[in-house]
Amino acid sequence: MSTLLAIDNLDFGYGERAIFSGLNTDISGDACIALVGPNGAGKTTLLRLAAGALTPNSGKVSLEGKSLHSLKRSEIARSIALVPQEIEMPFPFTVEQLIEQGRTPFLTMFGGLRAQDRAAIERAMTLTDTHSLRTRIFNELSGGERQRVKIALGLAQQPRLLLLDEPTQHLDIGRQLEMIGLIRALRREGIAIVASMHDLALIEGTFSSVWLLSPGEPMRQGPPSQMLRQDLIDRVFNCPPHHGPVLMKRMQEREERAL
Amino acid sequence: MVNEIAQGEYGTHRHSERIQRRSYLLLLTMLAVLLAAAILIAAAVGAVSIPLHSLAQSLLGREPLTADQRIILFTIRLPRVLAAVVVGAALSVSGLLFQGLFRNPLADPYIIGSSGGAVLGASVGVFLLPPISVAGFGATALLAFAGAICSIMLVYSLASVNGRTPVVALLLSGFAVSTMLSYSSYFLEVLDHDFGSGIRVLTSWLHGTIAQPTWPQLAIVTAMLLLGLAGSLPLARKLNTLALGEEYAAHLGIHVQQTRIAVIIVGSILTAAAVALGGLIGFLGLIVPHMARIFLGPDHVRLLPVTALGGALFLLSTDTIARTAIAPAEMPVGVLTAFIGGPFFLYLIRRAKQEVFL
Repeated sequence: MSTLLAIDNLDFGYGERAIFSGLNTDISGDACIALVGPNGAGKTTLLRLAAGALTPNSGKVSLEGKSLHSLKRSEIARSIALVPQEIEMPFPFTVEQLIEQGRTPFLTMFGGLRAQDRAAIERAMTLTDTHSLRTRIFNELSGGERQRVKIALGLAQQPRLLLLDEPTQHLDIGRQLEMIGLIRALRREGIAIVASMHDLALIEGTFSSVWLLSPGEPMRQGPPSQMLRQDLIDRVFNCPPHHGPVLMKRMQEREERAL
Repeated sequence: MVNEIAQGEYGTHRHSERIQRRSYLLLLTMLAVLLAAAILIAAAVGAVSIPLHSLAQSLLGREPLTADQRIILFTIRLPRVLAAVVVGAALSVSGLLFQGLFRNPLADPYIIGSSGGAVLGASVGVFLLPPISVAGFGATALLAFAGAICSIMLVYSLASVNGRTPVVALLLSGFAVSTMLSYSSYFLEVLDHDFGSGIRVLTSWLHGTIAQPTWPQLAIVTAMLLLGLAGSLPLARKLNTLALGEEYAAHLGIHVQQTRIAVIIVGSILTAAAVALGGLIGFLGLIVPHMARIFLGPDHVRLLPVTALGGALFLLSTDTIARTAIAPAEMPVGVLTAFIGGPFFLYLIRRAKQEVFL
């Protein structure tokens, strides 16, 4: 598969604090990448850089050879969708009205939704199983429903690359597995995915590779079996030996099963 | 199987969408008819009433009005009635726009101080040029526009935190700015050397009394209203996207900064139009969009025409009550809207406490 998004020699920091220096990586059209790292390591920042929402201090991010900097925001949005952690809605929009916003980059100044826009919205709802939520108010949904609707909003953009910021955050175990099922289904649709993940136990078997972020170190990349090793995780997350998140997760699951 | 279900649901959905569209058009027609009826009734009632049936007769060209009736109708009654219509539509739509801009359903030109800025701007105009002349009134309206724009930019920069405007910050900065602005208008009295019309105009502005405009004045303000409505059309959909937050809207290809400036300009044109004829009329821009939202949901595209018609109808009704209830004396309509809008506003604040945006 050819390279969809390439990150070349990228430097980025907030003020004095450098987050990335000399970052090189690329995302192929069929990639499914889990972005892992402790809080503050720059997971959200990397997703925003990849979506063109932040501009690197130096280096470049390019979509199929074209620098994001030279593309219009609406052009980028037709290929890359960024699904944020939270959407804060000041008004009681319905789920359908919210998902319709995903068509914004395709619309002309005065034109309304056309047949192909309707079709994309319906497809996004089918994939995320949100048809039944159509007329519900977004602000009144449960955590799991909100996550699915947010992803439907991203899918309405018909992206080739979907960037998910903490898609399993605040979900119970059942909804987490549902989300993992959705990510697998999207992979089968041929959509490349980068998702920041806190629950390491959910990564293997679904994601094809892991990007491991650690403050002050270059980013590590590789298949899950190599990246999610106990010693590496202990070090990156700064845990006491053998108390790393993988272990904690397993223990927690065992406890929950016992309940 | 799954697809079939989806198809079925989709079919029913399309059907309910058609029904929705039909009831929306029905609502618009109903409001338009009600407004036409209200204009007719409001033109009939007053200190000297013109019987409805003679109005109808003259409209149909059967029996002309008497000379007195014609003078009352065309120089006093009708300009006042149409002024209320224009001011009501302008204030309500600017309220809708500002609520979308601030991402806060409690914004209103009066509360956020843009009316106060417009009054200050307009008072400068009144004390410099006689407002009776077309040029004078035009300059007054222009200065009102300048005042509205400056004050809203001030409030916006004071109240917004990372693209959000928390209710408390918005209300406090709006309150401070609008009080400062309205009271500094009194300063201008010193400049009024012949103690003439200036003070009277200013007083009526600060009370929120709809003026008795001349036809050219009405034409200027109507042109401003139409300009503002035309400008709102392409902005309405962008406000829907902006509700997702600035960063998300930018990701979806909205030029956030440009849109924000466009909303401020269009909203200020509408505020200036309203203030030039009606002064400080509070809460209208809050009540009308809110009522419309109860029936239609928050889609700004659908809200826009309904808010314009509903605002015109609402202010015409309240103004007609204000000028007839204690006839021959007359109450500023601002008093009435404050009595209706104040409690309503308090109720909304009370509810907002439970929601995220406080």
